[in-house]
Amino acid sequence: MNFSGYGTVRNFSEMKGTELKESSEKTGAVLVVGGGIAGMQASLDLADSGFKVYLAEKSPFIGGKMTQLDKTFPTNDCATCILTPRMVDVAENKNIELLVYSEVEEIKGYGGNFDVKIRQKATYVDWSKCTGCEECVSKCPAKIDDEFNQGLGRTKAISLPFPQAVPKKVTIKREFCHFFLKGKCRVCEKVCQLGAIDFDDQDQIIERKVGAIILAPGYEVYDAHHSPEFGFGRYPNVVTSLQFERLLSAAGPTGGHVQRPSDSQKPKRIAFLQCVGSRDQDHGYCSSVCCMYATKEAILAKEHDPDVDVDIYIMDMRAFGKGYDDYYNRAVEEYGIRYIRCRPSAIKEIPQSKNLLIKYQEGREGLRTEEYDLAILSVGLGPGSSSLSLSQKLDLQLNEYGFYQSDPFQPLLSDKPGVYVCGVFTEPKDIPESVIQASGCAALAAGLLAEARGSLVLEKTYPPEKDVSAEEPRIGVFVCHCGSNIAGVVDVNQVAEYARSLPGVAYVETDLFTCAQDTVLEMREKIKEHNLNRIVVSACTPLTHAPLFQETMQEAGLNPYLFEMANIRNQCSWVHAREPEKATEKAKELVRMSVARAAHLEPLTKFPMPLNHDALVVGGGISGMTASLALADQGFEVYLVEREGRLGGIANRLHYVFENQDPGELVTSLARKVEEHPRIHLYLHTELKKFSGFVGNFRSILSRRTDDGAGEEIEVEHGAIIVATGGQEYLGPDYGYSRDVRILTQLELEEKIASNGSVLQGIKDVVMIQCVGSRTKVRPYCSRICCGEAVKNALRLKEINPEARIFVLYKDIRTYGFMEKYYTEAREKGVIFVRYDDEHLPEVIVAGGRFGPKSGSNEHQRETEKQAAPHTQDMAFSVGQPEPTGHSTAATMQGRGETSASEQYWDSLTVRFYEPILDEMLELHPDLLVLSTGVVPSEGYEELSRLLKAPITQDGFFLEAHVKLRPVDVAFEGIFLCGLSHYPKYIHESIAQAQAAAGRAATILSKKFLEVGGAIAEVDSEKCVACLTCVRVCPYYVPIINVEGVAQIDPAACQGCGICTAECPVRAISLRHYLDEQIIPKVESLLAGVV
Amino acid sequence: MIIADRKPFEEIKELTSKAKNILIAGCDSCVAVCLASGEKEVAVLASELRMQRKMDGLEGEIEEIVNVRQCENEYVDAMRDKVEKADLILSMACGVGVQTLAERFPDKLAYPALNTKFMGRPVEPGVWKENCEGCGHCILHLTGGICPVARCSKSMLNGPCGGSQGGKCEVDPEIDCGWQLIYDRLSRLGQLDALVEIMLSKDWSTSWSGGPRRVIKESAGV
Repeated sequence: MNFSGYGTVRNFSEMKGTELKESSEKTGAVLVVGGGIAGMQASLDLADSGFKVYLAEKSPFIGGKMTQLDKTFPTNDCATCILTPRMVDVAENKNIELLVYSEVEEIKGYGGNFDVKIRQKATYVDWSKCTGCEECVSKCPAKIDDEFNQGLGRTKAISLPFPQAVPKKVTIKREFCHFFLKGKCRVCEKVCQLGAIDFDDQDQIIERKVGAIILAPGYEVYDAHHSPEFGFGRYPNVVTSLQFERLLSAAGPTGGHVQRPSDSQKPKRIAFLQCVGSRDQDHGYCSSVCCMYATKEAILAKEHDPDVDVDIYIMDMRAFGKGYDDYYNRAVEEYGIRYIRCRPSAIKEIPQSKNLLIKYQEGREGLRTEEYDLAILSVGLGPGSSSLSLSQKLDLQLNEYGFYQSDPFQPLLSDKPGVYVCGVFTEPKDIPESVIQASGCAALAAGLLAEARGSLVLEKTYPPEKDVSAEEPRIGVFVCHCGSNIAGVVDVNQVAEYARSLPGVAYVETDLFTCAQDTVLEMREKIKEHNLNRIVVSACTPLTHAPLFQETMQEAGLNPYLFEMANIRNQCSWVHAREPEKATEKAKELVRMSVARAAHLEPLTKFPMPLNHDALVVGGGISGMTASLALADQGFEVYLVEREGRLGGIANRLHYVFENQDPGELVTSLARKVEEHPRIHLYLHTELKKFSGFVGNFRSILSRRTDDGAGEEIEVEHGAIIVATGGQEYLGPDYGYSRDVRILTQLELEEKIASNGSVLQGIKDVVMIQCVGSRTKVRPYCSRICCGEAVKNALRLKEINPEARIFVLYKDIRTYGFMEKYYTEAREKGVIFVRYDDEHLPEVIVAGGRFGPKSGSNEHQRETEKQAAPHTQDMAFSVGQPEPTGHSTAATMQGRGETSASEQYWDSLTVRFYEPILDEMLELHPDLLVLSTGVVPSEGYEELSRLLKAPITQDGFFLEAHVKLRPVDVAFEGIFLCGLSHYPKYIHESIAQAQAAAGRAATILSKKFLEVGGAIAEVDSEKCVACLTCVRVCPYYVPIINVEGVAQIDPAACQGCGICTAECPVRAISLRHYLDEQIIPKVESLLAGVV
Repeated sequence: MIIADRKPFEEIKELTSKAKNILIAGCDSCVAVCLASGEKEVAVLASELRMQRKMDGLEGEIEEIVNVRQCENEYVDAMRDKVEKADLILSMACGVGVQTLAERFPDKLAYPALNTKFMGRPVEPGVWKENCEGCGHCILHLTGGICPVARCSKSMLNGPCGGSQGGKCEVDPEIDCGWQLIYDRLSRLGQLDALVEIMLSKDWSTSWSGGPRRVIKESAGV
């Protein structure tokens, strides 16, 4: 159901804040290229904030690659289940024009005004008539390989790609169609009862004017045929990871049974080969997602068959996202998945059994060979099939790998003004990163076109609603044949006849397709003609079809809540195909139930609630400033609150990124823009003290420290809030930190290199230890940026002194995406990377003792942990000065297990570690020990979490509403997240997320009114006993106990999920549209005559 | 508050099997808040009983009523009309409520549908833990706000005992050692020296061992 947005708001006066002009020079429309998860997100955000969207997708359906996935990491959420509602939202949004099976032909113009030509390919089916019943598909004689199932199954020349496809329309593939190939057949034309087949269909050129363009053309997986050493295409039991997704999927070619292709047997031993088409000579980048999807597929394989053995051949486990390391640990500990640190060079097949042999190196034990039933190639992400042609049309330069690599400080901008880039088009990335970038692009496009906001959106008006409250029910029942889908099993006429006998029913008809365009138009007339005041459609699922019928009712002057659907297809004819008589009886019962409920339905209205159009941004680092600017540029007033006396946050301590730009300059330029922006109200030395209200109408009290020390309180009202409170460097006592001036953190080293790199020229030996304060028992999460930080600083040290010996002790090097090439460069320049694991932790011996990770503190008592004091005084060390006595700076090899700490080390710095290839303990006496310390949340995060009712993870980072599809929203509506407060991330990722937070906030702030009411929960305050149950169970944190001591549910915030209603012990809460008075008659009608 | 738990249905079925007309009486105080009573639980039990009795071929009506506090004469007296039609009042209140019903309606049977458990609080949705035994002489100021009487399985006054392992109690690894909690809290408050004092044997005369107790507040007498 889509009642939000401009569709039904009728009163547009009293608009505060942003002015929406009726006409302007810029065009208030955006072309989004690519209908995958990124393109859909950008389209929805823009359409919900007052812009017309044209969504061009080259395939005949939207949803992109995600439609082919079985589950998603790290929650194992079903991909289809979370994606389908999103696809339906796109299809229903009145401000999104869906142009599927379309490609961009030509783009002319400039930012603000583009003329685009789009070629919509011929489908040979009139989609205005097609209902997706698939009768033609079942009769089509041309069987072809099923592209959607990656060639593992068969489909037809006319087909629906998959059951949940949006739009649910069939397409003829001309190259396989018997009619087009041989000149005869036309079977589909004969069986289509709607006359939808059109062999004369032609490509159409569609011309549109848009103000901005968002490119989200996505990716193609690496074609494993290009790595013949793995036998893909020759050995049947070598499949790609995307094929394996289809084998896992219940909707896949094997119905969710994992079978090996050669003999359809259940595999007993499965191997995954990582980095196929990534991190190799031809692909110098990491695909960023394969470690995690392989882990997911391995877990799912284990869940399908707990007896299967799964080995994953891997170089580095790159679980760098939120909750990813936890998932990886579970894969190892709970599922027993074996990760083998080796990159096998080939797969060989045993011809008789079609089993596969993989040879690999194991420690010093030499080469071993393992036999598997099934091998899965974890194929990398390559450029999308249309990336090149698209960038040529726009004159954009792709990088050496075929991606559009953007500026790290402007990650969503292309070189062409008005053209924005997101998703895998710019770099391989996972779903949440793509969604974040898409929302960010929406914010930037909306900023460019702010003056044209609302100029092209559809404002649908309906005739006045008829008051039916005093009328007796007059129910219209529409029974659908759904071609033969229902009528092939259920006797539809019998069902209709039965419906006529039911109480309250005034009109019954049967339709070939109730959802067909002409039938829907007729329904409007039937409502008027028979004076119907309730509608029951007895057909398929309300998920896809309720909105269509409800809109028809509104057009006929009926309240859309006076509607009920009986699903006699999915829940009846499809599941009882072999028992037509019983199915008919069940269909009657389903209709009887729906009629019983329909008679008790009541009209519900949504009413417009005014809202405040200003935003509050908490935190003035790069994220907070970027979010503020992205909102202010869109025309919203922003209150930006920063606790410190200067803007910039942790970025004030950064001096360069890989690509050499200076974050300091970025901070300076952002700060200047923020200070000069007329719509940004900056409050330094200020903290958020109190927070109340609900989405659209929040009230905050800010507390500012004044010069006289007295402090003042400022009250602001705002419609949304963005949390950008940042993070800080972990400064625990690990590895002797703070005990010796030669022990630094990466940030301290970076400051030293930037301020006076020449003092480091004499540095000979440097040891870096990774995962300090990360991936430990206390902090199990990966801090994501430390590997890149170490590689970046190692390269700088090599520049300063190419002779320096740098040893990086690491668990996994997580230089994902294009950072991989810097890791390669570091190794080429002689930086030595030595892997360690939890059984072989490095040890530092320095004056005062031996230190490992978290020395001397209680591992399980995180609260009591004290952060070690950072070096506050200027570190007065000069290189080479404290030459360790009795030792050269060269590494000293020692026998394994031999203890070595003694007096002679007193003023030396010693690092002991295990070298796995040599299988020896090594000792180094470096001039510098650099700790790659993790990122921890900013101080006060717990307090802020309580204040905002915004949940945090056990690691202290704010929790998003959905890890995949709502990565910047908080469950409590109106609160958005960005930057390090969400999770450790690089600057370019923080910028994108800050822009995304602004984009998401704008979908609220740009509304003239919030529509509240409808099917939401209401409290009977007379009955409420203030037990707090609703407060505790609400997943959106909506109920509160108010000053009268009873529960209160804000209608603007309630999502209508009904959990509180079910849990309330005194039945004080009712959910409108699902009242006991409506549900119980439905149940009683089912049981009539039985009980 | 008082924490209660509904009796197994089999038991309720047995104890109501001889009655014809039954009134299920819920209470909207403590037991509703701990999700053992209140309108919903009363309706659920009534529905279950109706179905069961129909299957068993038993006749009679089952009525439902809920009042604010079943331990107060005034509220209970207001139920009189419905009570008169019933042979049995099935109380979904704590033991105090059941006894109030028995006392106010001396000619009616008043049976419990709940087991009254303890005085405690919710620690997470669906989990309640015991905090107070009502010993009549509170010493929480000496023990860091954690009661050794209720939360040490042995009610030791000078704990912990040797059965405290890794913060858990030997009686059940699900139980936190009360004395570990006391130690941690005093340590946090910087009051560990309080533990040097040996607590002498407690005066249990204020507890239940002296028989049923009463509280008199002179100023409240009219």
